[in-house]
Amino acid sequence: MKVSYYPGCSLEGTARDYAESILGICASLDIQLEEIPDWNCCGATAAHSIDHRASIELAGRTLNLATKLPHSDMLVPCPMCFNRLKTAAWALNQDFANRYAIHLQGALPKIWDLANFFATEEMLHSTAKHIKKPLEGLKVVCYYGCMANRPPEITEATDFENPQALDRIIQNLGATAIPWPYKTDCCGASQVLSRQDIVSKLVGKLYDMARRVGAQAIVVSCQMCQANLDMHQKKIGEDWGTRYSLPVYYFSELIGLAHDVCGVEKWLLRHITEPFALLKQLNLWNSP
Amino acid sequence: MTQVRSTPTLEKTGSIAIIGSGIAGIQTALDIANSGFKVHLVEEKPNVGGVMAQLDKTFPTNDCSACMMGPKLAELANHPDIDIFAYTDVLNLEGEPGRFQLTLKKKARAVDPERCVACNICAEKCPQKVSDPFNLNLNQRKAIYIPYPQAVPLVYTIDKEHCTYFTKGKCRVCEKVCKNKAVVFDQEDEIITLDTGALILAGGFEPFDARLKGEYGYGQWPNVITSLEYERLLSAAGPCQGHIQRLSDGKIPRRIAWIQCVGSRDSHMGNDYCSAVCCMSATKQAMITKEHAGDIDTSIFFIDIRAHGKGFDRFYERSKSENGVRYVRSLISRVIPNPEDDTLSISYAAPDHLLQEETYDMVVLSVGLCPNASTVQLAERLGVPLNEHGFCTSDPLDIVATTKSGIYVCGAAQSPKDIPDAIQQGSSAAAQATALLADARGSRVTAPSVHVERNVSGEEPCIGVYVCHCGINIAGVVDVEAVAEFAGTLPNVKYATNCMFACSTDQLQEIKQSIKDHALNRVVVASCTPRTHEPLFRNTLREAGLNPYLFELANIREQDAWVHKAEPETATRKAKELVRMSVSRARLLEPLYETSYAVVPAALVIGGGLAGLSAALAFAEQGYRATLVERTAELGGNARTLYYTEDGAHPARYLQDLIQEVENQPLITVYRETQVGSITGSCGAFTSTISQKDQSQTISHGVVVVATGGREYTPSEYLYGQHPQVITQKKFEELLNSEPEKVKQLQRISMIQCVGSREPENLYCSRVCCTAAVKNSLKLKTINPNAQISVLYRDIRTFGFKESYYSEARRQGVRFFRYELERKPLVTQQSNALGVSVFDANLQATVQLQADLVVLSAAIRPRPESRELADAVRLPLDEDGFFMEAHPKLRPLDFAAPGYYLCGLAQGPKFANESIAQARGAVSRAVTVLSRKEIVAEGMINRVDAELCRACGECEKACCFDAIHVKHGTSGRQQAIVTEALCTGCGVCNVACPTGAASLAHFKDEQINRMIENHSRLNSEY
Repeated sequence: MKVSYYPGCSLEGTARDYAESILGICASLDIQLEEIPDWNCCGATAAHSIDHRASIELAGRTLNLATKLPHSDMLVPCPMCFNRLKTAAWALNQDFANRYAIHLQGALPKIWDLANFFATEEMLHSTAKHIKKPLEGLKVVCYYGCMANRPPEITEATDFENPQALDRIIQNLGATAIPWPYKTDCCGASQVLSRQDIVSKLVGKLYDMARRVGAQAIVVSCQMCQANLDMHQKKIGEDWGTRYSLPVYYFSELIGLAHDVCGVEKWLLRHITEPFALLKQLNLWNSP
Repeated sequence: MTQVRSTPTLEKTGSIAIIGSGIAGIQTALDIANSGFKVHLVEEKPNVGGVMAQLDKTFPTNDCSACMMGPKLAELANHPDIDIFAYTDVLNLEGEPGRFQLTLKKKARAVDPERCVACNICAEKCPQKVSDPFNLNLNQRKAIYIPYPQAVPLVYTIDKEHCTYFTKGKCRVCEKVCKNKAVVFDQEDEIITLDTGALILAGGFEPFDARLKGEYGYGQWPNVITSLEYERLLSAAGPCQGHIQRLSDGKIPRRIAWIQCVGSRDSHMGNDYCSAVCCMSATKQAMITKEHAGDIDTSIFFIDIRAHGKGFDRFYERSKSENGVRYVRSLISRVIPNPEDDTLSISYAAPDHLLQEETYDMVVLSVGLCPNASTVQLAERLGVPLNEHGFCTSDPLDIVATTKSGIYVCGAAQSPKDIPDAIQQGSSAAAQATALLADARGSRVTAPSVHVERNVSGEEPCIGVYVCHCGINIAGVVDVEAVAEFAGTLPNVKYATNCMFACSTDQLQEIKQSIKDHALNRVVVASCTPRTHEPLFRNTLREAGLNPYLFELANIREQDAWVHKAEPETATRKAKELVRMSVSRARLLEPLYETSYAVVPAALVIGGGLAGLSAALAFAEQGYRATLVERTAELGGNARTLYYTEDGAHPARYLQDLIQEVENQPLITVYRETQVGSITGSCGAFTSTISQKDQSQTISHGVVVVATGGREYTPSEYLYGQHPQVITQKKFEELLNSEPEKVKQLQRISMIQCVGSREPENLYCSRVCCTAAVKNSLKLKTINPNAQISVLYRDIRTFGFKESYYSEARRQGVRFFRYELERKPLVTQQSNALGVSVFDANLQATVQLQADLVVLSAAIRPRPESRELADAVRLPLDEDGFFMEAHPKLRPLDFAAPGYYLCGLAQGPKFANESIAQARGAVSRAVTVLSRKEIVAEGMINRVDAELCRACGECEKACCFDAIHVKHGTSGRQQAIVTEALCTGCGVCNVACPTGAASLAHFKDEQINRMIENHSRLNSEY
């Protein structure tokens, strides 16, 4: 299977663990990722808050590049990129599309949020076939964040209040995805530099509920959420008068773990909250 | 008029098919079948009843839903002119209005309905438990089942998806244990084609799938449940036997929250309509909860409380003042679970705008009403247009007419509605469909069978006793052979036997045969409840040539075998006692005869407004004469100034055509400036005096329709009458219609809602004013888009699809300010405008407005003449002065007194299209009388012993039906005399009578006393 791939900027920097795990599992599942040649910024960083036109046109250029590839699916691992690309695809198909300098030049591939792609029946089936080490005993909550599902008019999500994609993927690996109410609550990632106090409240609330429902870890599909939930556990624990040690895994890392893909250790070593102890405790990790 | 009239040369079919058998379909079926037409009642599920059968209680009377439905279900099941096609799908409709051919697929239920006697043994022995959809899967039933004990038809069905025989090819236990060989695994679907003159869609609704609102956690957190599930929890027949329990741990909840508008008023879900029933349903549930356990805290979170029906506001206020139900105005955004104890937290902004968090043990989601998927599919196949939400589109003024002639719609299939509205609409659909087929009345009905009755007077009692095994229901506990043997030893018992199923067809045949063989003149069956089986056995006696009242039933199942399972010996003794009591009573049974008299096939309609005119015309369309009496010189009433509706209809224009049609209709006689003086006689044969100026005359008629209308309240508040720029909503509509240029000059308009409504002295909602304000605001916006409109309201009650016009008004910039009763707005005269000051309860601030015009949404009041008529004819009024129907839920169009019907504003505030529907519905009810040649009075009625009567009048005071009066009797002196046609045999006068002169036939003191004596004597003998 061959698909178009838009990695986005952060997967080339801070989220290399995410990027490598995606490449690792795609290789194991025989999914060939063709990176969109000469892709550019999706507009999620500065553009969409200061220049609406640029936010559509930047993503629009990438979309036009994507139309040139022969694949019917385009995978987007970063939910911010996904949201921008979907927004541009929507805006450039509206009656008012002629207000933008860029026009769509061909039929677009289906734009996939990566987790949703891995949660289709077909992908669940093929993922299941490759499982070498079911993740039995691992109890997690899945955290989706804000960008992959909302607004539903743009993302076309139907279960945007209680998304299920990550839960399905995790259950499929033999782990337990515990239902919890904060799947799409804000993690405060946009305030991480300026208002750490807000972040502490918002993320602390997530940790607290995760622990109350009995989760041992948090599973994400967004590198911003991952960073935000992974980085400051000690500090936030102190703010809340407790200690948290909740590893924050990418779903792709867990697929890799279950498939016994080589490289898992390298990915996890980039985490800040200690990720191995829990896996060892559950006999899911044999230290090399 | 949208009445269909096809060429009279072609013969029409005198039968009507109804698709769907909830309360709307049932009412429609009964009305039609009682009006001389055959009914084919088609239901996709195995049994009829719809959602109403699942409800515990109903608002605003808190009557038990199942108990109210019981009699209707029994009538349905026993009606000779209703064919019930349950577990049946509609395949196809061909032909034309008046002569359709309907093709049905009767699905195989693997049980032969002719042989199944519903003994329940199959279900008892069935090893396969499956979750019970009737109880919303909150508990389990067997794979062979009936959904509830009163189910009609009372036939079991095998759930083939779960039955082990159908899924795995083995088991067959039910087949083995069925003593009547009713289980037929290889039963096949049956294709049936039948003729039908018209089709009525009554497919009802489906509750909104609460899973779609993920934020409330339904399906994730065990103590978040839907309102329908809560109904089953409350029900004594439900999964918790009526004990309110949390699903997570079975504990009694201490705090329960209701969240309103789940899937309603929600454009995100595509459901931007109001489901119209949930506010009252939640109020009822909270009240019942409080009645179950007063210490449970009940809080209802709502947007607007929509108590727009008759008696609803009083009910709502009572829930607060008497039951302590708490109401919080806030649309809850989500439910957060507390995993430690499965409680649920919700937060909202309090009036002081601070975030408030509360924790509840249980959260009930008031789920909206969505269209029924199979009705949607059927409508699409039939070419009946659906609105954007999937409900059947109907004419704005003729709400039962679809665009396809000969196809009608009623109930929740047309729009979300409550039970009385569904019933009214059902009757209205019946009226429209039967009007189409009026020529064919009587052509397809079953001729009553005639049996020659043997005269048993003078004969010594000669009793036959049949003791039923009911499979193992009775025989498993009671020694039925011993009971039968014992019965044979009782005095006057000539024949006694036991049988497997007394009610099976072959056994009934044997009973008939033995009556002949042994010259029996009394019959006792010892089996189950008379509620379901007495009509059957009585009919058997009739067929055997015995008077049906010579029958007595001893209930040794419900009252013996079922409740004494562990004590077979005492149960057998009790069965003997019960049989002995019944035999002792049977000895004293007397034949009873129903009296009859001829019906005058004509109607009197009182009131010449929209409702009265519609009723008169509907009578004529049914082929009956009608006399229309109008008090004023002009016909039309309030509708004359009802120029347009929010949905594009023009009632005033419609009215002009209607008046013309009424005046040209030869079957209708119109009297203007005429009053009704008196009405005497009884249902089917009334005589009335009507007076026109100084002349009066007498007319005869079989029925009376009261349509005396209402009027707009004349406000005394808000400077009305003192300032020319303060007018009523009705006047404003006139202005918008006749002087748009003048209206265009008005820049600032304030409307004040609930003027004269929803106040302690007038504790009712006038139903139409919110929609009128919205409608007139939108109209004004088309005339002057820059007009600044402010609507001062308490709750916006744009129920059903009217909600979309409210949303539209908000979109167009109409401003809505909410005030509370305790702080009403203040209107003052200022130098060049009016000042309107309102404390906005949402903002918690006073808003000062200036207005060029203040429009008061004045209440609808009953007409003063209603009271005069009520006094003259002895018809009841409610607390607000509107006429009171026989039952606010199930008989909204009938008076308690037979032969009297009501409609329009005389019954309560309503919209024009509702008045028209009610008028036709009232006619449908009335035609159930007019279509009979004669009225047969009940045989079990009160009789007065003239010797004992001392004319004290206690009986007359006690009678609710005006059926007994102290008059000059045949004895030559004053005595109580029963009007047989009116007597229902309720027995209240018997209790009131101090001398014992009044006694109820078939329940005479002597008959009852003998039973008691025979019971007490037994105890010493055994």
